[in-house]
Amino acid sequence: MSTIIEIQGLCKQYGKRKAVDDVNMTVESGEIFGLVGPNGAGKTTTMRMLVTLLKPDRGQIRVGGYSIYNNPREVRRQIGFMPDSFGAYGDLTVQEYLDFFGACYSIAPAQRASLINDLLDLVDIGHRRDDMVDTLSTGLKQRLGLARVLIHDPSVLVLDEPASGLDPRARVEIRELLLEVARLGKTIIFSSHILADVAELCTRVAIMESGKLAALGALDQLTERVMPHRLLKISLLKEVDPANAQAALASYPGISAVRPQEGLGHAEWLSFEADFGGDDKALHAFLASMLQQGLPVIQFSQDTKNLEEVFMRTTKGIVS
Amino acid sequence: MSESAVVQPAKKVRVRANIFQKIAENPVILKELRGRMRGRRAFIFLTIYLTVVSLFIGSIYAVLAAQSGVTQWDPSFRQTMGKVIFSSVVLFEFVMIAFIGPALTAGAITAERERQTYDLLRTTLLSAPALIFGKLGAACMYLFLLVLTALPIEALAFLLGGVGLEEIMISSLMLIVNIVFFCALGIFCSSFSKRTLTATVTSYSLILLSVLAMGLAYFILVYLFTSSYSGGSYNSVRQDFLSMILWLLTSTNSFAAAITSEAMLISNQTLFFGKAPSGNISILSPWILHVGLYSALTAIMVFISVLFVKRPDR
Repeated sequence: MSTIIEIQGLCKQYGKRKAVDDVNMTVESGEIFGLVGPNGAGKTTTMRMLVTLLKPDRGQIRVGGYSIYNNPREVRRQIGFMPDSFGAYGDLTVQEYLDFFGACYSIAPAQRASLINDLLDLVDIGHRRDDMVDTLSTGLKQRLGLARVLIHDPSVLVLDEPASGLDPRARVEIRELLLEVARLGKTIIFSSHILADVAELCTRVAIMESGKLAALGALDQLTERVMPHRLLKISLLKEVDPANAQAALASYPGISAVRPQEGLGHAEWLSFEADFGGDDKALHAFLASMLQQGLPVIQFSQDTKNLEEVFMRTTKGIVS
Repeated sequence: MSESAVVQPAKKVRVRANIFQKIAENPVILKELRGRMRGRRAFIFLTIYLTVVSLFIGSIYAVLAAQSGVTQWDPSFRQTMGKVIFSSVVLFEFVMIAFIGPALTAGAITAERERQTYDLLRTTLLSAPALIFGKLGAACMYLFLLVLTALPIEALAFLLGGVGLEEIMISSLMLIVNIVFFCALGIFCSSFSKRTLTATVTSYSLILLSVLAMGLAYFILVYLFTSSYSGGSYNSVRQDFLSMILWLLTSTNSFAAAITSEAMLISNQTLFFGKAPSGNISILSPWILHVGLYSALTAIMVFISVLFVKRPDR
């Protein structure tokens, strides 16, 4: 993989408030890169500088080797940007909307027709091509927005809160769509407050707070760094005494703490949360020995809320 | 024959073709016209507009015919009627352009901001000049359409006679320049305003202020001009200076420039030059300065609008 985006010493200040403060990061080609942080952390400001909409006070951004200062047009050619609000031309049909943006990217009229057909098929709104944009639901508008950012075949997609305001089904569909787009070889940078989406999609994550980069890396790296142990969810059948079960779990090598999860999960189960400090082999051995000792294990899983934990431990809740 | 002599006309043709090609390829023009002409709105507006023009011209005709003591088939009456109808339609169109032009374009940039499409446009390869010229071109085309649809009503004047080719040419030129000027004014205000309402109010305020300021200055100058005769001591230099200022002021207003140019054409039979009110110096007919001044102001406003749109947010 080669580096497609380089951000060095990026700073942006509004009055006395530092919106982005000395941010340094790189994004590799083909990555799905998540940008998370509390409101006012500087995610949108960073994205707006990346797509040439906002002039940084200091620092450099290169996209595909092109500087945002010297070659903004080339940067725009490389990037497809979807802001957090869907900009709609209510007086255009879906097809006309895409045709207009195709023309804005100087795509020849003969090429545009087939390109629009392909894109509408990709985002699965071909059946609404002649409908006015204003009549689409929020989910379909997001799909149309995704088709729009792909119209000039950019190598990088910058998506600001692509799942905001969507119902659960539309959210899942957009997530699937992003994975499909990533399979086409596009680099995707997106910001989101929905950490489950970020955890599921992203190859790497940057956590921002008060304009600064609080953490950056692959999710498992960040988890290791912030949480030296794995968080396990263990459920047993209620055949055993809860106190004995907790003591038995705590006695295994690698287990540093066991917390009963009363009132959570199945009524017939005893649920525990355990901090485990070993690697994958040790985890497998732990499970095997529990079964060998006759513990009635009904559920054994690693907690998927790792990013939430990392996020909560990395950020301090400071809003700039 | 030298090579350059052969190549030059081909270049000119290519440049002209490029301009038309650029207009045809400008996505903003197509999008704006699509939006504006879609549905019943455009048809209803055109119908209302043409009804108003017809009623206006019909009433003028009725009033003139009723007041005239001579038969309506009298050639001089018909010529006067033709001139009055022609001038009325042109003056009506000047007023219409001043009202509708800024209204069409005051939302050119601000409406994009309000519907949150401005950032989308700025991240495409669409250049700032293409956006501004697209908005300007679409608005001008719509106003040209309004002027063209009124042509059959205006043509009544040609049936009656009394209107010369030069009057048609000059009025058409002034209308075109005014259309572009007032549309550019709206875009100029839109480019630096945050909201469409602010841009619209600023546009109309500028028009109103310029008319009021010009009117006030005009009356003061006329007073000074006439009072300098009654004082006994006649100062020709002062009279010439005041004449020049009056002439300049006349040229800044479409109405005043058109009427004065027409008056000079009738009294002096001249299209380009005439005598200043002082009678000492020759001056250009006001329509020439009007066209030059409005064209220059249009170019300046378009240039500044492009700069405003071009700059990234800070």
